[in-house]
Amino acid sequence: MPQHLKRLIGVFAVFIILFLILHYLLTPSSFGELGHYRAKAIPENAFKELHYAGSEQCSKCHEDIRKDKAIGFHAKLKCEVCHGPGLKHALYAGQFKAGQLPDSLLLYKPAERKDCAICHQFNAARLKIQFDTINTSMIHQINAIEHNPFDKITKVEFKCIECHNPHQP
Amino acid sequence: MEQHLQDLYEVLSKVDGYVYPNEIELNWSILIVLYPYITGLVAGAFILASLERIFKVHILKPTYGIALLTAFSFMLVATMPLISHLGKPFRAYEIMITPHSSSAMAIFGFVYLWYLMVVLLLEIWFDYRRDMIIWAQETTGVKRFLYRVLSLWTTDISPKAVALDNRIGYIVTVIGIPSAFLLHGYVGFIFGSIKANPWWSTVLMPVIFLFSAIVSGIALVMLIYILLTKVRKLKIDMECLDTIAKYLFYILIIDFVLEGLDQIHRIYEAEESFEVLHKLVFGKLFFTLFFMQGLFGTILPLLTLGTFQFYKPKEKIRKIIYLAISALILIGVFFMRWNVVIGGQLFSKSFYGYTSFKTGMIGSEGYLMAAVWLIVPFIILSFLLWLLPPWKKKEELPETQGL
Amino acid sequence: MRPAKPKVSRRDFFKAGTIIVGGIAVASAFTPYDAVLIAAEKPKKGKWYGIGIDINKCIGCGKCASACKLENNVPKAPFYFRSWVEQYTIKNDGTIIVESPNGGIDGFKQSVPTNEIFKSFFVPKMCNHCAKSPCVQVCPVGATFETPEGIVLVDENYCIGCRYCVQACPYGCRYIHPDKGTVDKCTLCIHRLVKGLQPACFEICPTEARIFGDLNDPESKLNYFLKNHTCMVIKPHLNTGSKLFYNALSSEVR
Repeated sequence: MPQHLKRLIGVFAVFIILFLILHYLLTPSSFGELGHYRAKAIPENAFKELHYAGSEQCSKCHEDIRKDKAIGFHAKLKCEVCHGPGLKHALYAGQFKAGQLPDSLLLYKPAERKDCAICHQFNAARLKIQFDTINTSMIHQINAIEHNPFDKITKVEFKCIECHNPHQP
Repeated sequence: MEQHLQDLYEVLSKVDGYVYPNEIELNWSILIVLYPYITGLVAGAFILASLERIFKVHILKPTYGIALLTAFSFMLVATMPLISHLGKPFRAYEIMITPHSSSAMAIFGFVYLWYLMVVLLLEIWFDYRRDMIIWAQETTGVKRFLYRVLSLWTTDISPKAVALDNRIGYIVTVIGIPSAFLLHGYVGFIFGSIKANPWWSTVLMPVIFLFSAIVSGIALVMLIYILLTKVRKLKIDMECLDTIAKYLFYILIIDFVLEGLDQIHRIYEAEESFEVLHKLVFGKLFFTLFFMQGLFGTILPLLTLGTFQFYKPKEKIRKIIYLAISALILIGVFFMRWNVVIGGQLFSKSFYGYTSFKTGMIGSEGYLMAAVWLIVPFIILSFLLWLLPPWKKKEELPETQGL
Repeated sequence: MRPAKPKVSRRDFFKAGTIIVGGIAVASAFTPYDAVLIAAEKPKKGKWYGIGIDINKCIGCGKCASACKLENNVPKAPFYFRSWVEQYTIKNDGTIIVESPNGGIDGFKQSVPTNEIFKSFFVPKMCNHCAKSPCVQVCPVGATFETPEGIVLVDENYCIGCRYCVQACPYGCRYIHPDKGTVDKCTLCIHRLVKGLQPACFEICPTEARIFGDLNDPESKLNYFLKNHTCMVIKPHLNTGSKLFYNALSSEVR
């Protein structure tokens, strides 16, 4: 074989060996254990911060409200649907006295008409709800603009919760 | 970042109908238009070079070296638009380290490497080795050193060694033709294999990409050849130019027929996505598809080149027309890529609406970046033409036996 | 003159015939031709998560979409959603209107007068966790994958941000995280699953329109739901092996 071919093959060999070394060094450790991916990516995805606590956590302290709710239309509604994610609250609020919670631990208290309207505003798509036999309730729909909008004398806007107890509407 | 969000809000206000919320942002923009465009130029230029070498169209001799060097300089840049478009460019090496065998994009990495290293590099090396050794003796300084390094410090220019070089170069070119087809067909497959997108998902996509690639590559070499002879103040080889134009004409016909077939098939089958695509073609893509790609990029060159097969005007006029035609074809093929890549993202996969396109000027997504990746290959090409001028090659030995 | 017959005796013919026919018979006994098509293969052991959504029950409150953003720190801007709700309104003249203002997080306003509406319904959308995911198929580096439990995840420490998977997803369920530069999508709240909790959108749904469960467990709520309803996946012709099953899915939904 002529000299120049040998050199050329040598260059290619060096290149391929270099590639193989890099391939060995750069392949992540858990790659290919379960499939064509890093198996470690599963635990990495699985250990992230939680925000929603689940309603079982709520009734640990707020048993009274759970009882209140249990006999009303909102019995099946989870607390965090209206009050927002509450894991931090559930974990740390117990350390503080009632009324002294720092803002970061306070949960949202929906009081405005728009908060209720998000579910109860009339919408044609909400008409045909046929709950199965276990769930006989229908969702109540109102026109949030026309439904008792304000006090006829003082002209102050009514809030839904002035007439309806949200936990027992 | 803020600018990006502002752009998105602007696009949101322009959405027609309904698009999935994640579709408002166009994920592949101008840089991904460039990627198949540049890769196509490589494949096309190489096919032209192989016409001379394999199919013995010796009349194309003046463009052989130019075509080869053009292919090489564009090849070096071909993946850069793709890499600079990545969200994490420094992780690009992962494509080579853990390529996913079912991903068209991953296998492209190897097809690219194969083509760059085994086809282009080898062909050029075997083609120029003898000359580099001779030039190394004639020059001094850095240039001499470069020739020495590039020829791997070899000295053997005996007729036997040169004949061997020729033979291997020939074999490499033979391997190179299917490789060029593979390279660009593969780019088409990257789009054609996306079943979620009816504008892309067609079996013809790789073939269409391939032929438009050959068209654009030939047009590019033609343009460079005309400009180069102008710069070097030489008399242009009209016969060679006419032959290139002839091949350009034939392949343009195939390209046109294929693309037409694709559209006719789409119209006739009129599947679920037909309405949304119909409105897209006559709406947001109207100008780029019918005018830039269709009229200027295909019909006009086709008619002109067709006429030239029967009637040839004076050389001077013909030269100018060839220059214009090659530029038009290059623009037309660019817009073909544009219509595929951008067009494929303008309509929602829900088939209920359209988003719009807005490219920021700054940042890796901008026109600036795109312009850079279009200019760099020309800089590389000028360097290569300085280092390895095909016109200074010593007369080769008479046809060696064994070829 | 007749051409000479090839010299094949009857004996040879039967011999060869017996070998061929017998060979095929024996081979087919080992690999019987299975004419039963399985829509999506699932592992025999372990969990295999799936999702059910009852369109009849969805009231379009958008709580799932907002809960998803809060639970998973999804960017607030209305271009990034792991979970969103669409309202379909079909008018009496047949026009189809689809809306999803801010993914439904701020609630829906009925944009068509009631007397013009033929029918209207909400469709919550999220990752289908396909068993034959087109997004996983195209990922060049293996940064997105299906876990053995059937959850399609993204490895954000390995993703190169090429956006090929975003193009390949027929359901528009992926986006590029604007800060990270990598792709982001629904993880089926795997961080909640490992703690024994439901994914946030299932936890929060006020009408229990969302059912989550193990397709491998014959007693699961999801299998009960699938047995008792006429369920359908979106874009079945794409054969993605979608594991998001809708009850009462209209043909307009895409």
